[in-house]
Amino acid sequence: MERYGVGYLEERKLVKRWPQPMPAIVALVLTLAVFYVTWWLFQDPRGWMRMYTPYVGYMYTRWWLIMLIWMVYIFNYWPFKSSWLENSHPLYKGAILTAVSVGILVILIKGFFEGLLGNFGLAYFNPNRLLQLEGVTEFFAIEYAALACLMFAAIASWLSPAWVVACEEAPWQNMSQPAKGFSILIMTFFLSTMIYFMTMHSHMGILYYPWQYFTSIAPPYWEKFANTVSGNFHVSWIMCCTVTVWIVETIWERFPFKLIKTTWLRRVTAFFGIIAIAFALHFFLYFAQELTWGQAIRGTRRDFAPDWRWLHVGEMAVFFLVPALFLTFYCGNWPKRFSLPTNVLVRTLITAAAAILLYIFYYATSHYFLGTQKGFSHPQQFPMIPTIWLINIWLAHHWFMDNWPGWKMVPKTADEIAADHAKEKAELADVRWNPRLGWGLGVGAVCGVVIYFIILAILPWAYESITIIH
Amino acid sequence: MSENKNTINRRDFFKGAAMGALGGSVLAMGVYSYSPWRKAQFPPVKRKMVDIGACKYVKITNISETSWFNNADLMNDIKGAGGLLVDQYLYNWPPFGDGTGLGKGSYEKGIAKIKHLLPNDVDEAWDITEKLSVHPENAGGYACLIEMEEMNGKQHKYLLDSGWSYKWTHECFKREGIDEMLKNREIEALFISHEHFDHYWGIPVTFKYDPNIPIYIPDTFYPEGLQYLKDSGHTGEVIKVKPGLKPIVPGFATYVFPIPIICRVYGEQSMYFNVKDHGLVSVTGCCHQSIIQFAETAYQEIKYENDELYGVYGGLHVSPFEDWDPKYDDLVLSLGKYDFKKIGCNHCTGIVCAKKFAEAGHPIVKGTARYRSKEDVYLGNSDRIGFGIEV
Repeated sequence: MERYGVGYLEERKLVKRWPQPMPAIVALVLTLAVFYVTWWLFQDPRGWMRMYTPYVGYMYTRWWLIMLIWMVYIFNYWPFKSSWLENSHPLYKGAILTAVSVGILVILIKGFFEGLLGNFGLAYFNPNRLLQLEGVTEFFAIEYAALACLMFAAIASWLSPAWVVACEEAPWQNMSQPAKGFSILIMTFFLSTMIYFMTMHSHMGILYYPWQYFTSIAPPYWEKFANTVSGNFHVSWIMCCTVTVWIVETIWERFPFKLIKTTWLRRVTAFFGIIAIAFALHFFLYFAQELTWGQAIRGTRRDFAPDWRWLHVGEMAVFFLVPALFLTFYCGNWPKRFSLPTNVLVRTLITAAAAILLYIFYYATSHYFLGTQKGFSHPQQFPMIPTIWLINIWLAHHWFMDNWPGWKMVPKTADEIAADHAKEKAELADVRWNPRLGWGLGVGAVCGVVIYFIILAILPWAYESITIIH
Repeated sequence: MSENKNTINRRDFFKGAAMGALGGSVLAMGVYSYSPWRKAQFPPVKRKMVDIGACKYVKITNISETSWFNNADLMNDIKGAGGLLVDQYLYNWPPFGDGTGLGKGSYEKGIAKIKHLLPNDVDEAWDITEKLSVHPENAGGYACLIEMEEMNGKQHKYLLDSGWSYKWTHECFKREGIDEMLKNREIEALFISHEHFDHYWGIPVTFKYDPNIPIYIPDTFYPEGLQYLKDSGHTGEVIKVKPGLKPIVPGFATYVFPIPIICRVYGEQSMYFNVKDHGLVSVTGCCHQSIIQFAETAYQEIKYENDELYGVYGGLHVSPFEDWDPKYDDLVLSLGKYDFKKIGCNHCTGIVCAKKFAEAGHPIVKGTARYRSKEDVYLGNSDRIGFGIEV
């Protein structure tokens, strides 16, 4: 029987056409060129469509990411067949699959959010309805609607992959497509809707004068804890969840959760463990800003405002995602020579160092070539847009085009797949708990805490020592 | 077997250590980073207490706070040109219209049409640019006259900003007698808060009456802005103020905040006046840095009477387009903590914001809604406010 693309990613072997680092360099140059051309066409404030308003461009960028995740992770390329995926030229395949993802994207935004929800549910999803409010200009009507849409996207871009990475598609993992895809889609969309109402709806409710006390919770329940009424507090931890899901899936190879033998416990621990790690990152990145720029002051704007600081946590987090994906997609998840935990630690350190360099590079130079605004805290400065735009291009390149031209896709044989599974089993057996790990674990934990405090001590000095924006 | 199990080798140690290091650091991040204990890491705020002197009073005349007359037109232009990040010189707004349409302009092409008429024939220049620009009828401008007296009785007059539309600015200058003051060299200097169109592009009207007036600008101007000074016929001294505090005369200092602003503008200069027996008065163009930041900076940098924040005048840049964001509510909710006695806000503060301020009990000084100012909820065109003096 003809199969759909279930297992395509696991069963494909990407063979390098040249020795490294040539394929990685070619992939980087090529994808950056595509990034720049498409940025100019769609986003750049000096370019053609100028969607970087910023919310309109951000909304489409964020939802396109989810379209890619839906097509590959949730629907396993359905309705495209495995034979088509294996035999089509990467350029042809990439063009078709990308066009499909964009088509669904437009239907979702215009049809579902603006048309259906905006006309029959929540007025703020539809700019035309917002325009009927006295004093609201068309620009802000469109921006508000896009903001609501992209806040929904932020949640969906965490939950959609989380259901696959953490929950292992349960309980539909054995179902065939498209039933499995629709089941996961409906579940993650339902959860996204619930979390949207509990985290973002109040933000939208207080956008209007007077506050919409009777349709949303105003002031929102997080006000005292987050030191702001803005929903950016939630954007921050949810963005950290998205980044953590992908870190766990890529450079961590689902470590440490995959060490748990009991299936249900592993899935539950992974789902909530990702949230816990994300919250740790969320708090740490906020603290890092307090240490470098000083404590936030409620009521002020820009880089001292708590709402911007929370938003910037999400922006900082996404800088970690870029090198993590590059390491996995184009560098074969290097290194692989040590034990799994050591590999994971080394990759994490590489990713953190690269993220810091990328952050500095972005803020020092992006205004020269992206048409963005100089400075950290401009309300229209959204590093999440170019970084996620680049990530989208990488996902399309890696998932739809098999890393062409630096790599060639060859289907794995049954023996190779079996060998992969055996290797994975052995690797897990190697790192499962035994008393010999105890000393190392204890010393490592102490070192982890000490390193954390050393970082706290050197952060203010390090920031003072470099001038990022001239 | 049991011996083997308990024998530690290097590989096992590193395996465990790697797991522990990841776990330990994540745990520390999660437990400590947002806890009350973290505050031990913050250095105490050191107040510099720079003495800028004191003055008897400050009196401000609102020459114009109506930077544009129709929000929808302005925002549609911004939307049509590509959003809030598009360089302001590209919009094809007056006086840099070149007839090519929205979002296709440039400083060079625009100024070439009128340069020969500046600064003396500003009305003629406006007639030309009106035909070549997008929505010239929507242009207004922001400017105010500041009068102060030193403790020794010496009086000073300054202009803060010079509007946008030559036509509107000229009309407002005549209405308030600014043209005569400039002609008589009564006004000592022009301070430009920032490079935005509605504060800066009307400078030829000032130079028409006093081309030699000293001008203070933030040192963060873009090349087009600097060139415009020359092309407008300015012949006086240009003082580029670096980020930070710049004392001007006893009791008066400016402060440049290096901040990014929409439409590709960078940096804003605002003013501090230390009024004897009352406290600090803050005068702003748009206050993109926010009034709270402005107040906190004063607290950290300078010494002022009674250690009190007395008053505010100017745009507070909360909802200039009558848009809203929950972060603005953070300002409404926390402004009371600073205990200002007199708030003369207008312009980019936004009408909704002024209403919310008033509802929250903040001491907003009402206006008279004359000369195209829309509502009396805040100080409008031709309204006056005094700090340390009744007007």
